[in-house]
Parts: sequence; C-alpha cells; structure tokens
Amino acid sequence: MSMERETDELLRLERKPEVFLPADGAMEAPAAEFVPGPYYMSADERIPEVADENSRPDHGMAAVGGVTPSEGTTASQTVVDRRDILRFFSAGALMSATACVRRPAEKIVPHVRQPRDHIPGVPVVYATTCGECAAGCGVLVKTREGRPVKLEGSPEHPISQGGLCGMGQAAVQGLYHPERLKGPHVRHGRRHDPMNWDDVFQQLASALKDKKKIGIFTGGSTGHRHQFFREVLERLGSDASRLYTYEANGLFASVARAHEIAFGQSDLPRCDLKKAQVIVGIGSDFHDVGTSVVYHTKGFAQSQPFRGGSRGTFVQFESHLSLTGSRADIRHVIAPGSETHTALILLRSLYEHRASRGSAAARTQVRRFLESYDKVIAGAYQESGVSRELMDKTAEELLNAPSLVVAGGSASADENSTLLQLVTIMANVLTGAYGSTLMMENGWQPSPVKVGDLGRFLQEAPELDALFVIDSNPVFTVPESWGIRSLLEKIPLLVSVQPFPNEVDQIADISLPAHHYLESWGDEQPVAGFWSARQPAVRPTTDSRQAEDSFLWLLAYMDLSLPYKDYRSWLMDKWRRIYHLVGTRSDFETFFKAVLRRGFVGKPGSRTVGELRDLRSYFRELRPVPRGLILTAPLDSRFQDGRSAHLPVLQEMGDRLTTIAWDSWLALSPETMRKMGLRQNQLVKVRGGEQSFDVAVFPLPGLHAASAVIPRGNGHLNQMSTISYQNGVNPLVAFAKKEDPLSGQPVTASLSVELMATGDWYRLAAMQKQNDIANRSDIVKKVSLTQARKNQHKQVDLDTVPDLYPALEKKEYRWGMSIDLSKCNGCGACMVACSLENNVPQVGREQILLGREMHWIRLDRYFYGPVDQPVVTFQPVMCQHCMHAPCEAVCPVFATTHDPEGLNAMTYNRCVGTRYCANACPYKVRRFNWWTHKWGVIGSKATDRNPRALNPDVTVRTRGVMEKCSFCVGRLRDAKHEAKKEKRTVRDGEVKTACQQTCPADAISFGNLNDPDSQVSRERRDSRAYLMLGGDPEHGHYGLKTLPGVSYLAQVTLEEHPATGFGQRAGNHGHPAAEESHGAHDGD
Amino acid sequence: MSDEITWDKTVSDVNDGILAPTGKPHPMYYGALGLSLVCLLIGIVAWSLQIIYGMGLSGLNSPVYWGTYITNFVFWVGIGHAGTLISAILFLFRAKWRNSVNRSAEAMTVFAVITAGMFPLIHVGRVWVAAYWMVPLPNTNQLWVNFRSPLIWDVFAISTYLTVSLLFWYMGLVPDIASMRDRVRGFKRLVFGFMSFGWTGTLRQWHHYEAGYGFLAALATPLVLSVHSIVSWDFAMSVQPGWHTTIFPPYFVAGAILSGCAMVYTLVLPFRTMFRLEGFIRKEHLEALIKLTLLTSTIVFYAYGIEFFVAWYSGNEYEWAIFQKRATGPYAFYFWVMVSCNCFFPLAFWSSKIRNNQVACFIICVLINVGMWFERYNIIISSLVEDFVPGSWGHYEPSLTELAITIGSFGWFFTWLLIFCRFFPFVSMSELKLIMPKPLRSSGVKRQGTGG
Repeated sequence: MSMERETDELLRLERKPEVFLPADGAMEAPAAEFVPGPYYMSADERIPEVADENSRPDHGMAAVGGVTPSEGTTASQTVVDRRDILRFFSAGALMSATACVRRPAEKIVPHVRQPRDHIPGVPVVYATTCGECAAGCGVLVKTREGRPVKLEGSPEHPISQGGLCGMGQAAVQGLYHPERLKGPHVRHGRRHDPMNWDDVFQQLASALKDKKKIGIFTGGSTGHRHQFFREVLERLGSDASRLYTYEANGLFASVARAHEIAFGQSDLPRCDLKKAQVIVGIGSDFHDVGTSVVYHTKGFAQSQPFRGGSRGTFVQFESHLSLTGSRADIRHVIAPGSETHTALILLRSLYEHRASRGSAAARTQVRRFLESYDKVIAGAYQESGVSRELMDKTAEELLNAPSLVVAGGSASADENSTLLQLVTIMANVLTGAYGSTLMMENGWQPSPVKVGDLGRFLQEAPELDALFVIDSNPVFTVPESWGIRSLLEKIPLLVSVQPFPNEVDQIADISLPAHHYLESWGDEQPVAGFWSARQPAVRPTTDSRQAEDSFLWLLAYMDLSLPYKDYRSWLMDKWRRIYHLVGTRSDFETFFKAVLRRGFVGKPGSRTVGELRDLRSYFRELRPVPRGLILTAPLDSRFQDGRSAHLPVLQEMGDRLTTIAWDSWLALSPETMRKMGLRQNQLVKVRGGEQSFDVAVFPLPGLHAASAVIPRGNGHLNQMSTISYQNGVNPLVAFAKKEDPLSGQPVTASLSVELMATGDWYRLAAMQKQNDIANRSDIVKKVSLTQARKNQHKQVDLDTVPDLYPALEKKEYRWGMSIDLSKCNGCGACMVACSLENNVPQVGREQILLGREMHWIRLDRYFYGPVDQPVVTFQPVMCQHCMHAPCEAVCPVFATTHDPEGLNAMTYNRCVGTRYCANACPYKVRRFNWWTHKWGVIGSKATDRNPRALNPDVTVRTRGVMEKCSFCVGRLRDAKHEAKKEKRTVRDGEVKTACQQTCPADAISFGNLNDPDSQVSRERRDSRAYLMLGGDPEHGHYGLKTLPGVSYLAQVTLEEHPATGFGQRAGNHGHPAAEESHGAHDGD
Repeated sequence: MSDEITWDKTVSDVNDGILAPTGKPHPMYYGALGLSLVCLLIGIVAWSLQIIYGMGLSGLNSPVYWGTYITNFVFWVGIGHAGTLISAILFLFRAKWRNSVNRSAEAMTVFAVITAGMFPLIHVGRVWVAAYWMVPLPNTNQLWVNFRSPLIWDVFAISTYLTVSLLFWYMGLVPDIASMRDRVRGFKRLVFGFMSFGWTGTLRQWHHYEAGYGFLAALATPLVLSVHSIVSWDFAMSVQPGWHTTIFPPYFVAGAILSGCAMVYTLVLPFRTMFRLEGFIRKEHLEALIKLTLLTSTIVFYAYGIEFFVAWYSGNEYEWAIFQKRATGPYAFYFWVMVSCNCFFPLAFWSSKIRNNQVACFIICVLINVGMWFERYNIIISSLVEDFVPGSWGHYEPSLTELAITIGSFGWFFTWLLIFCRFFPFVSMSELKLIMPKPLRSSGVKRQGTGG
C-alpha cells in the first residue's frame, strides 16, 4: 500500500470519532507499515536520547552503577539476575564511596547533539491518556524542547473529542510541582529521610522476605494496571485478591453494583447524551464530576442547546445547586436525601403512562416492584416535595422523545445510592433508553473499581504484613470515622507510591515517588474494547519511578523477577492481545507505534445483557428521607476528591457557582440563612456529626431550605503540600462510619447537623460580588425558544453601527470570537487553559480578597429569578477586542494599540502603568500586575510557578504592567506562518485559542470575521448574536458602539414549555436572587 | 473695596512690619515646620516601599484602578487654582483686596502644583520609565506619545500652568526681594541682589514691570480655565458612567476655585498670626475671600444638581444607576460628606456675622477642603466600583501606604510653604503699598491703638 493511501486511510479513520460504536466501523486496520506523518509519536521515535533513558525504569541505577541491566536482555529474559544485583551492589558501593553524585534529572533534552527531527522552538506533540481521573480522556501533550507546556484534548479521541476539563488542563502544573518528592523517603518517627533507590529496594526486599500477606491499595483504572498489580501480588506470594481499589467518586461503584444486581453485568452503561432529546436528572452531577465529565458535556452540548431550530430539554431534580442543575431548563428543588424517593415517583409515573416501553418481562418486574412498595411511593410525594402532576408531565416528556434518566452523584452518596441506581435502571428500561441512549450491550464503560473493595480492605487490613498505597489517598478521601489512618498505621510496613505526596506519605514507612502520568506508560479502556494508550511525554522531572517499574525492581531484588525489563514491555505483551483482537495486517511494532501516535485503538465488543431481575428484596432497607438540616459533601467540581487540590491554578479558578477561590464554605439557601440570622462570611460550628468544625457560610440560591453543602476536596492536613495544607475544611470528618450496604461506598451525604454561630467571621474570597445582572439589558441576553425558532433564518449585522468614525477597513483577517451562552456550562476549563497557555500567575487568597485576580478570561455567573428557583447563566468574558476600543485612545504611551487584524494588542514593555486603559474598558477585562509574581510564592504559600512549566511562546510580565487576553496571538502567528509557507490564508478552524480548544461544551468558536463563510462569521450573523454592551440594535440603540470582536449568542430559554411551570416562573419578578442584589431581572 | 477698609498701618510700616517677623517667627512656626517634616518623612518612606515592592501596596484593585492617588492629584491641582485666579483674574478686574493675599495664594499655587505633579508619578506602575515616556522626546524609533490621550494633555497642561505660575509669582517677588536686599549686608545682599535682577525701583523699571505683569496676568487667566478642564477630561474622555459627561470642565473649574479659596483662607489665617501680619491682612480682605468662596460654592451646588438631572434625563441606564448609587449605595457616606461640606455648610456664609467670625470661617473652610477631597474621591471611586458589567464589580478602601503618601503630600506642601514664608515676604509689599493709605495724606487712616 502506498504511503499516501495509508495516510489517507489513517485520516479517514481519525475523522470518525466514535470508533467504539459498531455502526461507525472500527479502526480495524491501522497502518500496514509505519508511516512517518503529521501525527503524534512516542518518545522513542522522536527523541532518541529521551527514549533511551525513558524506556527503562533504571536510569537512576544505570547512572550509579554504570551498568545497564537491560543490555542484551530480551523481553523473555529476566531483567536482572542475582549476579547483576551483586554487581550493582559492589559498583554502587564503590561509586558512592567515591562520592559520585547522581545528577538531578534536569537535562531533559541535551542539545549538545541535536536530536533528529527536533527543532528548537518547534513544539512536538505526543498523544497520551489523561491520568487525573478514571474517565480516560485522550490528551495531546505539547512539548517544547522536551518539556510539556500545555495539554489539550485530543480532537480524534472519542471520549474527550478535543475537550479537556480544568483538572485535566491543570495536570501540567502537577508535573512540575516543586513539592513532588525528590526521591524515595523513609520515615523515622515524624522525620522523612531521603534514601536512594538501591537502599530502599534492599530494605523493602528484606522486609518483605517471607511475608505473604502483602496488599495493594490503589485508585480506579480501567486499563491493564490492576491486572499487573494482581500479577505482582501473586509473584510476591500474596493473593491477587489483596488488590483493593477505591474511588471516592461513589458513582462508579453504585452504578456498577446496580447493573450487576439488575442485569448481572458489573459495568457502567455509557450515556450517549447527544442522542437524548430529553434528559431527566435526579441529583445527577455529570457536568460537575460524573463518571466521564468531558464526554458527557460534549454529548450534552450536541443535543441540548439550541441548534437548527430545536433543542433538547433537561430537567433536574436536586437538593443543592450543582453545575449540572444550573444547566437544567427546568430545575426542581427536592428535599436533601430524597433522590431515591423522587426516582420512585418518576418510576411510577413512567409505568402508568401508556407510552412506556420495556419488554413484557421487565414490565412485570416493575409492576411487582411498584406494588410491593406502593406505600413508600405514596409517602414519597410529600418526602421529596414533588407533585404527582409534575412527575406525570415529566414522564410524558421522557416518553415522547429519545430520552434518558440520569441519577445520582456525589451529593446523593448516602445509604440509598445504589437503590437510586436500581430505580433509575427500571425507569430507563421503561423509557427505552437501553440500546438507544444507554449503552450496555456495546460500548459500555468498564468499572474502574471493584465494588466492595473498601469493606474487604477494612476486614483484611489488620492481618496484612505490608501494604502499598498507589495513586490513592484513602486517609483523606474516606471519612475519618472509618479509621483508615489508624488501620494503616498498624500495618507493619506501609509503602506509599504517589506522584505527589499526600496524607498517606505522612504515615507511610517508605515513600516511593511515582511518575506523574505524563512520565508514565500505561493504558485505559474507557469504553469496552476501546483502548487509550498512555506514553511518557517527558523524561522524569524528579528522581521518581513509575509505580509498576518499582515493583519490577522490587521483585528483582527479591529474586522473583518477572520476565520483563520494564512495565512498558509487560504492557506491550498485553497489547499483543489487543493487536490480535484488532486484527490488522501490519506487524505488531508498527501497530503499536501507530497506536501511540494516535493515542488509541478501538475494536467494538458486544455482548448480550440479561433481562431485568427482581429487585424487590433490595429495597427493604430503603432509608427514609432524613429530617432537619442536612449536610452534604459533594465532590468539588474542580479537583474532585481533593487529588488536585495542590494545584494553584485550580484553587484560583474558584468554584464556579459561588466564585469562591482558595477555601471551603458552607452553602445555605439565603432564606435559611435569614431565618437563622446568619450573614455571609460568618463562621459557624457544624455540630451533630462525628466531629464538629468551623466553616464560613455563603448564601447560594437554589438550595433546598434544609440543605447545607460543603464541597469536599479541600482541608488537607498534609504538610507536604503547602498549597492545600489547611486550606479550607474537610467536611468528611463529620460523617460517621456508615456505608451504602450494596456498593460499600462511605456515606458522605444526608447527615443531619446543627449550625451554631461562633461569633467570628472569615472572609471567603468570592471573586464575584454582584450576583445578579442588576437590571442591565445588554450584557446577558436571552430569547425564548419560540422566538429563537421564529428568527432562525433571520440574520443580523452587528458591525453596521452609525457613528462618526470612518468605516472599518476590510483587511485579510479580522479575528473574532463567538460564545454561545446556551452551551456554556460554567466548568471553568477555559480559565485554567488560558492561565496555563498565557503564563497567567496565581495570586492567592489574600490578593483575591483585594480583588486582584489575574484571569484573562473570567466566568461571570448571574442568578435570575426567585431565590429558590434561580436561573443560572454563565458568561465567559475576555478582552472583547473592540474595533473602537475605549482603552486604546486613552493610553498616553501607545502601549495598547489596534492591530490591522482586529486585535487589541498590548505592548508590555511600553506600558508605564497608568491603568487608564483598565478604567476606560467597559468590560473590565484588563489585569494589572500589582506585584512581580515571583517564582514559587503565592502570598504565604509556595506554588509551582516553576519556570519550566511556563509556555515559552508567551512573555511573562513584571509588576507595573497591564495585561489582558491576546486572543492567543502566538497561536495566530504560528497558524499564519504555516499558511504563508503554503501560500494560502489561514483556514477556518485551523487556529484555536486555548479557551476554545479546551471547552468541553464547544461554546466558543473563533476565526476570521472577514471570511463570510467562517463559523464565527456565521454565528455573528445569527439572529441570536449580540454584542456585549451593544445596546439593542433592533430598536436603534447601539450601546457603547465599541464594536467588539467577541459576539455572544443569546441563551435560549424554555418559557413556553408545555410540561412545566417555567413560563409562570419566568414571569415572576420575585425576590432578588442573591443577598446583595439590587433587583431581579428575567432578561430576554 | 479698599476704600472701606480700616487700616491701622501706613505704607511706612510695611517693610518693617512684614519683613521683621520673618527673622524671628512665632513659636507656632517651628511646631508647624516640625510636623510637616515628620509627615513628609512618612510619605517618603511609604513611596519608597511602594517603588520597591510594587503597586500592590496600595488598596487599588480590579476594577478600581484609580483611587487615592488620583484623588490627591486632582485635589492638589484644584488647590493650585485659587492662586492664579486671585493674582491674575482679580488683578485684571482691579479687585484691590487681592493685594494683601495674592502672594500667599501664588505661593500656595506653585507648591500645590508641584505636589500635584508628583501624584501621577506616585500612581503609575513603573515610575522609572513613566517620567520620560510621557514626554514627547524625539527618538530614532519614532515612538511618540499618544496625543489622543487626556493624560498627555495633562502633562502639557500642568507643566504650562506650573511655568506660568512660577513666572508670575517670581515676577511679583522681584521688587520685594530688592527691598530685602537693601536691608541686609554681605553675602545675603549678594544673593538677594542676584535674585532681584538688579531692581532699583526706577520709574522706567516700574513702567516695564507693570506692563509685563499685566501681560502675564492676561496670559495666566485662560490657564485657570484650561488646567482643570483638562484634568476633568481625564475622566470625561473615558466611557465610564459618571465620568463621561460634558459638564465636567466647568464643574471641575468651579470646584477647584472653591477649594483654592478655602485653602487660601485656611492658610492665611494661621500665617497671619504666625508672622504677625494682622495689620496688613485686614478682616475686610478675609471677608472678601469668604464671599468668593460662597459664590463658587453655589456654582458647585448647582453643578451637583445638574449632574444628577442630566444623568436622569439622558435615559442611560448605566449613567443613572451610578448616580443613584452615589447617593444611596455603599459609598454614599462620601457623597454626603461631599454635599454637606461643599454645599450645605458654606450656606452659613450668607450671614455677615459668620463671615466676620474668623474661627467659624476657618472651620467651614477646612470642611470645604475636606469636602472637596471627598468630591474627587467620590467621583473616582463610585464610578469605578460598580460600572457596566455587574460580574466585575468590586470594592475599594485606601491602604495604609496610600494614606501615608497622602499625609506625606501635605507634609511636602507645607514644608515648602513654611520655608518660603521664613525667607520671603508672605504679603506682597510692593502691591500692598498700592492699596494702603499714603502717610502724608492720612485722611483715610484712623489710628486704632498703638499698633505694631
């Protein structure tokens, strides 16, 4: 096959995002031979030096011993034998005696000899798989001179589809975090002493000699990782069952367990939201955390927002306000802890509706179920506060279109969480979701954890001789009442293997720093049959080792070597199976390289799923709805269970609903606060739980009156991380040792508590002070669905504004952006991406309290309507790049000027800092450097502003200088250079800004406004398009006439929706939505 | 006006009466000088720290990028207004009472403008480049300043005003310095001789002097209007609601003259005691000053009212929201301080009893100065804190550094003023003689007591 055809074939395959869907045709035939092309390569191919060092677990050892143990070994040979070890020991002793110091691993790419195909200044991109959570998104790692500088969602990857969440973006900060352990440490009392790898392995080897009860506690993974650990455990003489997996996100366990109970398959169905026109969520959190947040947001963005005259409907029942709930067209507030009861009502309404689906057998099961729990359901209306008529209407909606019920999230992680999933399964059987929007028979999600492992661990841990805790932090993420800490402390040998030191390292006898995922080999299987590969994109930045490699070394030291030189070769063995499964014509090496270049390979699996089983017996223990003020501790949408709380960029991004950065808060409904006589920022003592603690309160509209919410993830007590140490509180300390009996997950919701004002105050660093739109009409615009439909084919011309300025000159380019307010879900990934792309500093809590955050793109959040039923709008605001920019005229020194391509350009070195431009800017998007943000300091806290983590394409700014969004001008210049080389203009979609690229909701489009066919031009002509502060052009009001390059698409609301009381609600000019607001406004 | 004044001194008393106390001032003088130096030191330390560590030491933030420093700038420029008004405009109008206070007003002007001129430098983020990048210097890179920016107009306006004020002030000083030269010997005589440009008081010299003085006064008069108009454009030229209004230039000029007159009164009263000048600065002069203050206060009152009316009448939601918030919002306190001090308290001046009660007048004049400071503070802060986009609204309170530098600016101003009074006549001797009764024609003189 010719090279071109091969490349075409690859390109064709890559254009198909959903390769795991059988209908789309899988990538069954990768390259017959390796084609060097514009794709993403493994480290071996591109940078030989790196690869030589990198593909081995033993680079440190080799440097000491001067012997390369893998020389002459093949995949089938033992990596090191006893003699080698002796050689090592003697050589090592000799070298250390002669004071041979191991060099710090800083020479990432030595440029004495320039690597082939490696040009300084030209980025090299690697495809890998994100390791921040178990979702398994594909990422592209942009490296410059061997250093990863930016992560982007892989556009071809069917999970991430080009998007990446904030946590995924922030991973690059984790890689360079200055507080990563610099080498193995051994604890003596409270002291952690550094030790070298040889000594550690020796010590471990002797300690584990003749020990059989060795366990591994690790986080969730869908790849081969767990299998490897099981093999290691067996090799060590322990039992494979001593691998304990745990994810604080209980949704994996409860959904998997529920499907095991209902269908006998312990997996998660893949929710294909893009096919669902009606989605009903019951306490769901797929926009916050969910099971695969980017995939779900992408799907949601393709079906729900207004497109071509229609849009989907999303109805959410929840007790607290989540990002997911904020996206709901119709949002009903239910009593906290009543999610299962709400689901039961829905189930009944669905069953009783004549259009409900499901096989006869399944319907019989549901009927029997409903009959047995008739009484419970009858009482549930009052318990949840949802009326029967409402639910009947909701059920009708569900049955009239391709639909889906999504339930459960970290805010409903109580004793009923698996029962909630069981009811949801029945409901989805009745809506006919299985097979159309819920994939259980093909393309399902394998569960990243084994259900019930935590309970098993509690039982078996006291007998363990040794435990390795890998990539997991049970001391923090499991409520303290479970006694994990004391349990771990009692284990004779506790080894912590973490990429970043956490609470486990504090008590561990030995800490072995693990590789960050950007330095590791691995894989994930986010969807059954679909494999996503992970490869290192950088040589290790500290003296760490991949967890798996550490085990191979340990085994070697114990004379139990596995026949692999490193984890990569073990992994390649496993991939041989996938290779055969995929059945390509090329040889394995080529196949593997092709996979690495692309990042994934898919071969659909399919299976038959059994009929719905009898579920009645499980509901005997249905826990009633709790009374009183109910404390809920949902996962923080920024750093989930706190695994990324040490990343300043995430802390600084702030919670998207409260806009609080750097802290924990207790959210209460404003009405409840008024009744209790509490004010914002007042410290209260939370009592009634296991331990009481103090936290500052914040009024959040849309909460149930009995709902008290503290997000978890903050409040770390790990002194090894100054960023997260004592930052906020950990609400989990309040929760008693209770579990969901079916999934074994700890209960972190539905706790009845009392609040006591302490009389003290604590200022929460909320970035937004005004919570509603203050009756302004041309900032956020809304249109009703009917109106949007009516005007669908109408076009507007935003750039024709009568004024005294000369007409705009038409140049080749005028860069512009369009933001769809219907799509934005406020996840904040754009803020993180922007900060990392543009080297925006993090300033810390104290400066945010002063109002000095530096975000180039901020995410304004407005509440509309009554306090208990707010409509939430998110509006990303960055520099609007006005053609008639108020800032440009007033700068005395021409530091900000207009560029011929429509950009509002900043010349940093010309700026003297009068700040007049920022005053003149009506959008207030300019940011001033009040300080020189030093490397490694945020206020009183150390950070990762490691110079190596900076994007070399963007200048850093010193104090006294103004800065702002540049539309990622560096990217524009790159694209233009590329286009110039090919003697053409930049194509639409060829250049993406950092915020646009990462947006999981595809809310942002960017391009050339002078090209009438570009997407951004088309969106600017859309009838929904408007300019911020652009008045009301339809009625001859042109506002400030600044002619921004950024246009917004008005949010489409659903007032006249038949099934709901939305129309009524929208007309209700009720109470202001927030404490300090000056009046409610419903827009449109 | 001078006709109605009762004098207890004659022309022959002038030189002795005015120059003698400069050699041996009132003990109050040393207290005042010491206090000023301490304040100045505080300011110097605070500014040095700000230069070393960055603008973060101020309380400024996003969206309040301008704050106390710009308030101080406008305040001091405003103070500097009365000088030219009193010396030039009243000179042209032949208001003779001005001759007793014009020197002090001119000195105040010069030092106030110098003080004001420092604030833009204190305010900018990179003072080390601001000082010369704001000046249009020819350079090979063809990098010019932005002539569209009101800040550049400011640079020209302030420097012009300072130059003309300095010339005017110094020109008036020349005959007085010559008088001083004639009273001393040795090195001092040499210095004063040099400074008085060989003034001998010939008729020819007087002829040229009077003509030149008149021209300079005519030249300085439009500056009174232009300087503060241009300063007001710093605000009016941006689109910020509450700033973007055409009333700003006259409104600012009226405010400036109000603050200037009040400041002259505030200064003259203690200095009169300090240097025992009661015989030369008569209560009638002071009353005339108060009348001028009352006039400008009513203009300012009117401007405040019309500003609200226009904001409402414009139908601009952003504009009107700002004005509502000024009066009722979180920063309403400053607004009501401003209105009370600038509009309500001066109403007391309608009573001639209060006009002639120097203590009451002094207190009200100090209050007017406070009110005028808060007027600028109110304009700047309330417009910036909550402008167009609610999502970016913020808050502002001055930091210790800003307060220290503000105190320092008063120290700087008073230090110069006190040093000046110590060595030069605080009352223009040559001009005072013009309005005083001549010794041989004592019909207008009613001797009261023994006098000094």
